[in-house]
Amino acid sequence: MTALRLGILFSTSGDYGVLGRDCRDGAMIAIEELRGGCSIAIEPVFGDPGGSSERYIQLVRRMLQDDGCRHVIGTVTSQARKDVIPVIEKHDALLWYVCPYEGFEANPNVIYTGACPNQHLLPLFEYMMPACGRRVYLTGANYIWGWEMNRLAREIVTEAGGEIVGERCLPIGDPDVDRIVAEVAIRRPNFILSNMLGPSNHAFLRAMRELGRRDPVFRPERCPVVSCDLTECELPEIGFGVADGQLAAASYFDSLDTSANRALKAQVAARFGSERRVSSYFATGYATVGLCVEAVTRCGTDDPVKVRAALAGLEAPSPLGPLLVDPATNHANLPFLLGRISGADFVILQSRPAAVADPYLIRKRTIAQPRGAQPPLRVVS
Amino acid sequence: MKGTLSFLGQKAMILHRPSETTDRLVRQCALLGLRVEARWRPLRAVEDVDIVLVDADEGWDGLLPWTPAEKPVPLVALLASEAPGRIAWALDQGADALIAKPVTASAVYPALVMATRRHAEAGQFNQRIARLEERVRLRPLVHAAVRILMVADGCDENEAYGRLRRKAMQTRLTLEHAAASILASSRKQAG
Repeated sequence: MTALRLGILFSTSGDYGVLGRDCRDGAMIAIEELRGGCSIAIEPVFGDPGGSSERYIQLVRRMLQDDGCRHVIGTVTSQARKDVIPVIEKHDALLWYVCPYEGFEANPNVIYTGACPNQHLLPLFEYMMPACGRRVYLTGANYIWGWEMNRLAREIVTEAGGEIVGERCLPIGDPDVDRIVAEVAIRRPNFILSNMLGPSNHAFLRAMRELGRRDPVFRPERCPVVSCDLTECELPEIGFGVADGQLAAASYFDSLDTSANRALKAQVAARFGSERRVSSYFATGYATVGLCVEAVTRCGTDDPVKVRAALAGLEAPSPLGPLLVDPATNHANLPFLLGRISGADFVILQSRPAAVADPYLIRKRTIAQPRGAQPPLRVVS
Repeated sequence: MKGTLSFLGQKAMILHRPSETTDRLVRQCALLGLRVEARWRPLRAVEDVDIVLVDADEGWDGLLPWTPAEKPVPLVALLASEAPGRIAWALDQGADALIAKPVTASAVYPALVMATRRHAEAGQFNQRIARLEERVRLRPLVHAAVRILMVADGCDENEAYGRLRRKAMQTRLTLEHAAASILASSRKQAG
């Protein structure tokens, strides 16, 4: 085969466009880099569905039917992924999904290089509950990511003898966070899990900053907002300093000091300027294109069945560390990093080595019930 | 059963000819932590399984070793056909959920969860019906006890029924058992 036609399908406009732009830029810079030293030609086909389900379906169909793509790197939200999967299945193509998601999926036609809950939410709560306490407030975007992450968090907290002191979701992008902040002020949680997206989350972090100014109990050092999807790429939009002290889990941060990451950052600085930070969306988009092209090169064909088979045992170096996909689940082994926001960067507080993904959470949960903790008694009348 | 349902360590039996459908089912079931066996011959009653997935397109009576009323485990029907006879066969086996063929990966976990829940509910309904049938069967005892109390205490039927209920609550017996004990002591006195 002479050329690999690669669909790059991210919403770079719309409510969560900033995440899509990082995913696309990561993929793009990998393609530019590989064009120099790779035996096959890579021909990207870009599409921006703007966050619309119908456009996702139209564009992925066009990529597969008309543009000759058999591999699509793309989708940010789980909604979009679930929209395109039937089309991907129909054409027996492969979707390479690079974003953290809520788990409970392992499609043979999808390669998951974004983290699932045993790689982000569980280790995050293992850190947070002993460190901050077990009274937790849950917020999220009103779709499957927010719902399922909050549901899992509720299970984790309740099993550990803690308490969910409130839960409220907002439509994707809705910045009307006053009611949530008022509720937080009354319920006084030990920490807040935010699964909101884009403008909602930005408005919420700004409002929490104001609340912390009025009452020090709500400053990040005493009542942090934690999330599994907030990265460097949103900090300029929120405003530098506004979210300082808040926490996020990710499989990559720009501040990682490894040679692979220094190389990527030099490349990004040369291409986009030295101000540009690399987010986990960017780095995973970059690493996933590298993995895909490596597998296709080894096969000598872009036949999805053969490429998937070639992934087994393939370990591709990446800024996230060696990237390895578990053939049982099609999910990548990923490290866990906990970062604290400081200016444009995340200071890494904890890191754990790459863990095998457990999308259906069938392995024993590692969160142990703290000694002496009893589930709260209920009055039975 | 509001939490995340785990199938870890349970055994799934897939009764289907070897095919891509079977392969897909085996893969998804294994991902859920199930031990999986796939084959195309009858299940025997002595075999230890926790959930059964059966091909309703080609299944025959005798493939499963139970009647729907005695079905001991959740049952998922696998169906490509729209033929009423095949749908009826799946229903007659007591299918709790359906997976349409060709099987998509995302269809498996929901069907297993739904079948497990429906099967558990059906068991609870059956127990409840059995309890209610028992009460209906013992209703004559309640009538007899009420008549005895009416004569003994010189009260009307409503009052006697109220006394019987209070006695049942105080002694923590069902209404029927309280009635039976009144009948027994009245017979003793009479004898």
